[in-house]
Parts: sequence; C-alpha cells; structure tokens
Amino acid sequence: MTSLLRYQFINYLRTYQYVPPFSIFILCLVVNYSFVPNPILDSYSFTAIILFFLMGWFTITLFHAEDEEQKVITTLHAKSRTQYNLGIFMICVLIGFFLSCVSVIYPTLIGAFGEKPRFLHQLLGFLSHFSLAVLAIALSAIFTRELVKNKQNTWWGVLGILIISVVIATLKETILQVKGLIWLLPPVRLSLEMMGSEDSITSIPNSFYWQFAWIFVYASFIIMLFFLLSNRKRR
Amino acid sequence: MKTIMEIQDISKQYRGKKILENATFSICANQIIALVGKNGSGKSTLLKIIAELVDADSGSIVKHRQSLKIGYVPEVTPSHILFTPEEYLFHMGSIRGMTKKQLQLKINELFELFHLQEARNIRIANFSKGMKQKVMIMQAMLEDTDLLILDEPLSGLDPKAQSDLEETLSILKDKGFSIVLTCHETKLLQHLVDTVLVIQNNKVVQADSFHKNEIPKNKLIFEISNDELLDNLLPFLEIQHQSLLNNGCHEVITIIKTEDTDQVLLDLLQKKASIRQLTPINQKEEQFYTHF
Repeated sequence: MTSLLRYQFINYLRTYQYVPPFSIFILCLVVNYSFVPNPILDSYSFTAIILFFLMGWFTITLFHAEDEEQKVITTLHAKSRTQYNLGIFMICVLIGFFLSCVSVIYPTLIGAFGEKPRFLHQLLGFLSHFSLAVLAIALSAIFTRELVKNKQNTWWGVLGILIISVVIATLKETILQVKGLIWLLPPVRLSLEMMGSEDSITSIPNSFYWQFAWIFVYASFIIMLFFLLSNRKRR
Repeated sequence: MKTIMEIQDISKQYRGKKILENATFSICANQIIALVGKNGSGKSTLLKIIAELVDADSGSIVKHRQSLKIGYVPEVTPSHILFTPEEYLFHMGSIRGMTKKQLQLKINELFELFHLQEARNIRIANFSKGMKQKVMIMQAMLEDTDLLILDEPLSGLDPKAQSDLEETLSILKDKGFSIVLTCHETKLLQHLVDTVLVIQNNKVVQADSFHKNEIPKNKLIFEISNDELLDNLLPFLEIQHQSLLNNGCHEVITIIKTEDTDQVLLDLLQKKASIRQLTPINQKEEQFYTHF
C-alpha cells in the first residue's frame, strides 16, 4: 500500500494539476488575512468553505491524474480496484489534513487575529476545515470517471453538488419542513452553524463534537457508496 | 502441451447486448493464441475477463497453477506517463510487492531483452509508440509472468516497429511465455501464432487449417496446343478457367496442391505445355482475411 501511495502521489505531483487549486488556496489565505485584526471563528469558517470547494478540485484531478489505460495497469498491479481507489482517497485526505493545518496555523503565526487564538479556537478551526475537506472529497469522488463516463459531467456534477451543499445551509428552514430530508443532504450547514459562535466561547459544547462526527460519518457513507458503485460497475 | 488455464462457458452482456456466449478454450504453456474478429466482437472484453479486470456474467476461469501470474497490456498505450522507464517499472513492481533487489535484477534483464538500455533515463512520454509498447510489455513481465495478455500489440505501429515487436514476441515465445493476443496483422498471425480463435456471432471458434503449411496450394497458368492432351489432363486438375487463344492454343488456369506441383509440372512439360505462371496461394487465409 505504501508503494501505491508513493507512486500515486509522485505521479500527481508530476502532473502539476495541483498548481491551480493550491495557488488559489494560498491566495485566498493571504488576501483574507492581509488586513488585521480578523475575527477568529468567522475567518476560519470562510477559509473552511474555500477549502471545501478546492478539495473538490484536488479530488477530481487526483482521481484523473493517470490515463485511463495506465489506471487499468496500476489497478492490475495493485491487485484490486478497491486498493487503488483507497490509495487515492488516502492522498486526498492527507492533502485535506495538510491544508487544514496550514489554514489554522498560518493566521496564528502572522498574528492575523485581534486576540491570540486559544486551543479551543484552533481545534474548532481544524475540525471545521478537515470535516468539510473530507466531505468535499467524498461528494466529489462520486462524480469522478470511476462512476461518471463523461468528463464534462464530472466538473458540472462536482460544482453542482458543492454549491448545493452550501446553499442548503441558507435554505435550512424550508428543508426542515420535509421530515428526514435534512439527514440526507450534505451537512455543510452544521460546520457553518458551529463556526457562527462568538469568539468569546469558553468551551466546546458536546453537541459540537457529535455534529462534527456526523459530518465524518456522512462522508464515510458516501465513500462506502462510492466503493459499492465502483465494484458493481466492474461487473 | 500443459494446460495452464481453462476458460469455461464464459458469457458476457454489455448494456443488454450479448457480447460473448459460452466462450470455452484452453491456454497451454508456451502457446500463442490469437483472438480475431470484427471490431466490437468482444475480443478486448474477453482479454479483460481473462486478466480479471472485468467479471463475466457466467462461466468460470480455471487456473491450473495456484500462483499463475498474468501480465496485461491494454489496446491503447498510455500517452502521459511522467516517469522514465526505469522509474516506471520500479513503481509498478513495488506496487506488485517486489523487493528493491528483485526489481533491480528484473529491470536490468528486461532492458537487455527489449534493447532499451539507452532510453533508460528518458521520460516515457517522449517515446515513440513502438518504444512505449515495449515498456508496456516490460511492465507486464515484471513478476515472472506466466501468461501475457496483449490487446492489439501491433496496432498503430509503423512497419519497422511492428517488425521489432514481432521479433520481441518471438523471443518471448522461445522463452516459454504463454501469450493471448488480439490482432489484425496477417504477418504476426502467420509467423507466431499457434492457435487462432475467431469470435463470430458472440461465439469463440477455433480457426483450424490456418497455418500456411496447412493450406498448400498453387495457382498455375499454362498453355497447351493439343486438345487430346488437354482432355487427358482435365480429370487430374482443378480447372478454374479455360480459354482458346488466337494462336489456337488453350490457356488453362488451375489450382494444384503444393505437394503435387512438381509432378504436374513435369507431366505438363513432357506433354509440350508452356508454363506461363506459377503462384503460391493461401486460399483459406485469403478468405479468412477478406472476412475480417
């Protein structure tokens, strides 16, 4: 598995397809924190949403980094399609983890906030970034060539699902009227709600942990659905 | 020959359309099998099923060796491999679970076999199609492969590259590899292949009497002046065409078995016939390729 991860990562680096989303991410961070002071949780919430969209970009380019034919060869060497896709998911998650850390540490290092962020701010900041990154990876993977044949549909699909996920947050009241629907829709709103708390918050309520946990569980369900559909497609 | 794999009653449908129906055949050690058929007849699908890349709807594949290693080369060569062949083979071998030491030995051996030492450190993306195809076969042979599956290995290559690759395949055959391939190249089929399987109407049938040695006929054109002599010859020859020329001679076009050719020529010359043309033909093969 380590060899597969190493190959997939080096191959991705050599494609240079990470340059546009990575540049946009860095640009957003720099621009967002160019004026000081900034509110802590609001700023984290903004960069988390940016990361949410950019992780979609990273995910698609990672899944499409190899030629279709090379993918068949690599899968054959890896001895299983699940193993191959798992490798890509792991790299996506590692990129999400790294960028989440950068998003939290960078403003702290340059002193971009009015007050020095406490550990709970940083923990909330990290969880909001990382949970949305993992959610974006899961949602975007559904639209990769593994399941969607037409490349154009891939980009429209990813953009569509990510935008819808954010729009749902604003339409929450309407959606809540349809019983059960809120559980089916991507839970981006949970992160946004939690990050809407005041900076003066003194402790993280238990419900926050559950809500972050739900985002991860939701993403895991989508990833499992991906593997189910992917294995079914082989037949 | 020792059977290494049996394909038993494999059937496959794609989007409700039947592609393969009860495909059954065996692959033996040191045997080259060619799958031929029209485009879209299911050749590539059958190769993918053998390589375990696609599941069959029904039927089974029985491996006669528990650890039978299969190498696969797809029809389309990947165009954007961002590694040198050495790096690429190293990565593919590592993913397969080979140790660094094993890989170093194997990669050196393969570079020598495929005469690619000089291109070791050039990115594959800059290679010609023939060289890329060689690297593809090299990756398929990394782990002491027993069975090589090649999907149209000569497709899109220029005659020189085809001839190079054909030579390589011939060496592989001599080294004892079993190969299943699809192709349309008559030259390859004639010189290398042991068994030709035709996919026709979703079924796999063996095209026997395919080798040129099994289709030994010649086309002979001769002139003869004597009617009586011609009448004597008619029962022994398969006459295709007969016409009376201006000079009063008869021109006869006939098909004769290669093994009978010497005797027939001798008889005709003794009967004062003039031989105009003698051409070897491969009747079944001609019909075969006209069909595909």
